Amino acid sequence: MRNSVMSVMLLVSSAGTASAATIEMDVNGLVCAFCAQGIEKTLRAFPATADVVVSLEKKLVAVATRDGQDIGDEELRKALTNAGYTVKAIRREDESLDDVRARLKSKQ
Amino acid sequence: MPDFKRCAVAAALFSLHAIHAAAKPIAFAHGTTIMTEYGAGTMEEVQAFYAPFYWLSLGPGYLRLDSDQASRTRAIRYVRANLLVHRWNLDDAQANVFVWGGLGTATGSGFRDTRLDRNAGFQADFETRRIYASLMSDLHESSAYSHRIDTAQLGFAPYAHDYDDLAVWFVVQARQYTGRLHRGTEWAGLVRLFKGGAWLDAGLTRDGKPQIMMMFNF
Repeated sequence: MRNSVMSVMLLVSSAGTASAATIEMDVNGLVCAFCAQGIEKTLRAFPATADVVVSLEKKLVAVATRDGQDIGDEELRKALTNAGYTVKAIRREDESLDDVRARLKSKQ
Repeated sequence: MPDFKRCAVAAALFSLHAIHAAAKPIAFAHGTTIMTEYGAGTMEEVQAFYAPFYWLSLGPGYLRLDSDQASRTRAIRYVRANLLVHRWNLDDAQANVFVWGGLGTATGSGFRDTRLDRNAGFQADFETRRIYASLMSDLHESSAYSHRIDTAQLGFAPYAHDYDDLAVWFVVQARQYTGRLHRGTEWAGLVRLFKGGAWLDAGLTRDGKPQIMMMFNF
């Protein structure tokens, strides 16, 4: 009984914060942080978005989606185009966004 | 008008040599940009633009000019539309060409009554994470006056900033006014700082006058 309650508590606590997947996008024109704010603002407006990371160094935008949710490639491409940027490639990774952050920092 | 045509040709030639700007009149789709500038005692300007699309922004502005050649002042209140004509998103650089146009009202010490002000201009810019260059020309004319403010900037960053870093740039600015507002070329050295949605250019002209620009995006 105690184990069951613990399991339920763990499930409930993780459902609110866990990210199901990370979507990485290679983006052209990413040279100025001031100008790239629109990307973060646009991507955070998606209900499925849990978090966003932007790296000018790697010309990379990464989005963590909420558990069980996704954002389609066309929607992402349209969002970044409307923010004024050009998407070169989109890929889905098993890595968490924290791992992406750590990877980006370690390669700097 | 001939002055403006000469400027357009000069700008086209200039852009062929990859000389371009950084403070942009359009931030991003559904973004608001507020800019305010104190231009060494000759000009003061405040602008607020909302962008329904990444290629268009609209909003009001106020421009005050104080000539250093005569006791001539102008105060212009206008509404302007800014259009991103073309953007080049390159691997390690971005370049843009903007144009704008607007209408307003002007009062001043050199003429009676309020005049209809017509505004047109362009900006071209090129930037990498370490180097940028810009050229901007802003024309205001009415039945009582015609003047243009041409500004060129060349800057470099001592380090390549990333998204969450404080960006630091050193900028040299050259500005010319037509319409007997200021004699000669006004040179200024600026330090540019930006982080998040806040931007500051601050420095001095060769005459020791302050040149300050602040911009906020949200």
